[in-house]
Amino acid sequence: MGEDTDATPTLNHRGFLPDHNYVTEADIISTVEFNHTGELLATGDKGGRVVIFQREPESKSEPFSQGEYNVYSTFQSHEPEFDYLKSLEIEEKINKIRWLPQQNAAQFLLSTNDKTIKLWKVSERDKRPEGYNLKDEEGRIKDISTVTSLQVPVLMPMDLMVEVSPRRVFANPHTYHVNSISVNSDYMTYMSADDLRINLWHLDITDRSFNIVDIKPVNMEDLTEVITAAEFHPHHCNLFVYSSSKGTLRLCDMREAALCDKHSKLFEEPEDPSARSFFSEIISSVSDVKFSHSGRYLLTRDYLTAKVWDLNMESKPLETYQVHDYLRSKLCSLYENDCIFDKFECAWNGSDSVIMTGAYNNFFRMFDRNTKRDVTLEASRESSKPRAVLKPRRVCAAGGKRRKDDISVDSLDFTKKILHTAWHPNENIIAIAATNNLYIFQDKLNSEMH
Amino acid sequence: MIMKGQKRKHPPEEVEVSDPSSPTWESQRQFVFSVSLNKYQRGQELPEPSLRRSVLIANTLRQVSREACRAPSVDMEVPPPLCSSSSELQESTLTGVAPAKPHSAAMFSNSHSALVSCPVVSLNNLSNCATSRSPATCHLSALNGPLSVKDEDEDWGSMSTDSDFSISAAISSILTALDSTIDGSPQAAPRTPLRSLENLSGPSDGGVAWGKQAVRGNGGSWEPQEEWRVPESSVEVMRSSYLSELTVEDLFQDIDTSLLERDMGVLGLRGSGGGYQAGDDLLRYLQPFSSSFPPSNPFSLSLNQNLKCLPSFSSFCPLSSSSSSSPAFSSPNLVREGLELEHLMEILVES
Repeated sequence: MGEDTDATPTLNHRGFLPDHNYVTEADIISTVEFNHTGELLATGDKGGRVVIFQREPESKSEPFSQGEYNVYSTFQSHEPEFDYLKSLEIEEKINKIRWLPQQNAAQFLLSTNDKTIKLWKVSERDKRPEGYNLKDEEGRIKDISTVTSLQVPVLMPMDLMVEVSPRRVFANPHTYHVNSISVNSDYMTYMSADDLRINLWHLDITDRSFNIVDIKPVNMEDLTEVITAAEFHPHHCNLFVYSSSKGTLRLCDMREAALCDKHSKLFEEPEDPSARSFFSEIISSVSDVKFSHSGRYLLTRDYLTAKVWDLNMESKPLETYQVHDYLRSKLCSLYENDCIFDKFECAWNGSDSVIMTGAYNNFFRMFDRNTKRDVTLEASRESSKPRAVLKPRRVCAAGGKRRKDDISVDSLDFTKKILHTAWHPNENIIAIAATNNLYIFQDKLNSEMH
Repeated sequence: MIMKGQKRKHPPEEVEVSDPSSPTWESQRQFVFSVSLNKYQRGQELPEPSLRRSVLIANTLRQVSREACRAPSVDMEVPPPLCSSSSELQESTLTGVAPAKPHSAAMFSNSHSALVSCPVVSLNNLSNCATSRSPATCHLSALNGPLSVKDEDEDWGSMSTDSDFSISAAISSILTALDSTIDGSPQAAPRTPLRSLENLSGPSDGGVAWGKQAVRGNGGSWEPQEEWRVPESSVEVMRSSYLSELTVEDLFQDIDTSLLERDMGVLGLRGSGGGYQAGDDLLRYLQPFSSSFPPSNPFSLSLNQNLKCLPSFSSFCPLSSSSSSSPAFSSPNLVREGLELEHLMEILVES
C-alpha cells in the first residue's frame, strides 16, 4: 500500500471546516483517532471542539465505492479555563482523544486538554415516544377536561439525532500538562501522563487516581528529563510503556510495585559518537510511542527518524527509518525557528506491516517493513483533486541532482507540518491532519490488509 | 529554511560541525549558546512555558558549556569560563522550588553572577599556567571544594591587576547577598539589602559571606550547591572563611559611581513575591558594571545582551507564588530610581 508502482491510493477529501483563506487558530486540528472498528473518526482542535465523522455504509448500488466519512457529531469538549491560584489560563486545546471499545449501543471516548480529562457518551436516538396523555405534540400540558380516554405512548421513528453528553469529568489531577491518555485492555482503567507523572484511573471514579510513575526530582534543579508519551500494552493490562525527552523508552509492569518508577525494561539506543552535535539530545527526544497491534513491537518517532523496537530487545531498535534526513544539516536553523521542537506522531497499519508518520510541507511518509520500500505523499488541496491518485513526492538535498517535480530542501514550507495521523484499524484508510484541514485517503485497490 | 516572512539574521553554520578543532565549531557553539539563552528566557516569559521545551533548551545550554570545557585550546579567551559556570548555570537554570518561595530573583542573580564571573575565570586561566588548569580540572573544580591556598594567592594576584574584573567580582557578591535577602527566606527576611552590605565591614557572617563569594568570583571554583542555597540555611554561607580578612572596602575601591548614572535598562529581574524594591533597583543599576567589560570579549558581549531571566523551573511548581507572568523588564521611573541609586551607592562606598 502506498508504493509508487502497484498501489493507487485515491483521495477522499473532506475539509474539516468550510474553506477559509486564512487559518483560524481555533480550527487547527490537534488530534485524530479512529475508533476500534474504524467506523468513527474523531478529531479534536485547538478550540476545544471535537468533531466525529462516521463512515457511510457501503451502498449496494456502487460496490466499488466504499463508504465515505461524513460529519456525525460536533460538540464542545473543553472550554478555556482560568487557574486563579496561578493566574494562568488553561488552554482548551484537545491534546488527545481515545475511544473506548464499544460495549453497548453507545460509543464512549476520552478527551483531554492540558488539565482535565472527560468521558463523553455518544449515542443515537432515532425513535421518540408519541401519544402522551397529559402533554400534546408540542409538549404543552393538555387541558384535563379534554382527556376522555387513556392511550399508551408509542415509539415512532424520527430523524437520527446524535446526542453527546459528558459522563465523567476527571479534573485537575495533574500539575503539569497532560500529553497522553491510554485506555487499558481491561476496559476498566486508563492512564493519563503529564510531563513528570503518570496516573492510573478507574473509568467510574473521578475523584481519585493512583500515581504510578513519578520522575519529578526532589530538586527541580536536577530535572533533565520529562515524559513525552505513554501507552498501555494492547493485550497485557499490567504493562505500559512511556517515552522520555532523552530518547529512552521504559516498559513498566504494574504487578511489580505500586509505584512503577523502576522500569522493567529500558529501551535505549547508544549514541553514535560520530553523529554527535549540539542538538543530539533534542532530536533524540521521542515525540510519540505506539504499540503494534500484535503487542510485540513498539513504534517511536523522534525528530528525524521512526524506529521499530522489539519488546524483547532493549539494546537497540529493530528497524530505523529516516523520515527526513535531509534536515540533519539544517538543525541549527530548525533550532532557531523552533521547528526542532515539533512533536510528530506515528501510526501502524492494521497488520503492523506498514508504518506512517508526518513531516513538513504537508508531506507524510509511509514505510513498508517487509519490502523496505517507502513513499512520500503530500496532503494538500492544490496537489490533489478528489478521487485523484496521489502522486509520490521527492525531496532532494540542496545541490543534488534534481528531477522534475522534486522539491528542494530549501523550499520546504515549515509552517505546513503534519503532526497528527491515524490509520484505520482494519483497512487501508488513513486520516491526515494538515493544520486546519483533515484529509482522508483510501486505498481502493488494496483495501484489505496484507 | 527561515520561516516565511522572517528576516534572515546572522546565518548559522549550515553544516553541523561535530569536530571541536574545526574553526567553525567555536562560532557555532557560541551561536547555539546565545540562541539557547534567548529561547529559554523568552519561553519563560510566556504565561505557560512548556516544560519539555525548557528542559531540552537547558540541557543544550549545559552541553554547550561542557563542550567549551573540552576544547580550551581552541580559544583561551572564551571557553574556559563556561566550564566553571556550567554547573552554576545548571543550578541557576534549574533553581527551583521549594513551593511558595519566590526564587525567581534569586535564580536570576545567581546566573548573573555566574556568568559575570566568567571573564574573571578566563583571566585566571590565562595568567595561571594553563597547563595546571586542564579541561578536566576546570570542569571538576567547578563541582569540587574550595581552591587550594596556592591557587587563591594566584587568583588574587591576577584579580588585583584588573579593576574591571574586581568590579565584576564585587557585583557578583552584591547580587548574591541581595538575592538571599530578596527571596524572602526566614533568615534573610529581617535584613534589608542595605543592611546586608553594611555588615561587610567587620568579620561578621555577612563579611565572611562577602569574602567567600568574592574569592569565588575570581577563583572560579564555585560551590554551586552551597552558595545558591543560602536561603535554605544561612549557616552554609558562613562555612568557608579562608578569606575573611578581605573586606568589601577592597572590593569597592574601584567602583566608579559615575557609571551608575548611565541608564542601562534593567537586568530583567522577575517580579519577586517579596517586593524588596530597593534591592531590585540596586540590581537593575548594577548592570552598567557588567557592560563595562572589554567589548573585545565576544562572550561577555553576548552575556550582556542575554542577561535576563535565566533558566529556572520554579515557575512550574504549582505553589510557587512568583509565576513568570509579568517579568519586570521595564524601568518605570528612571529619575526616582536614579536618585535612590545614588543614595545607595553612597552608603556602599562609605561602608
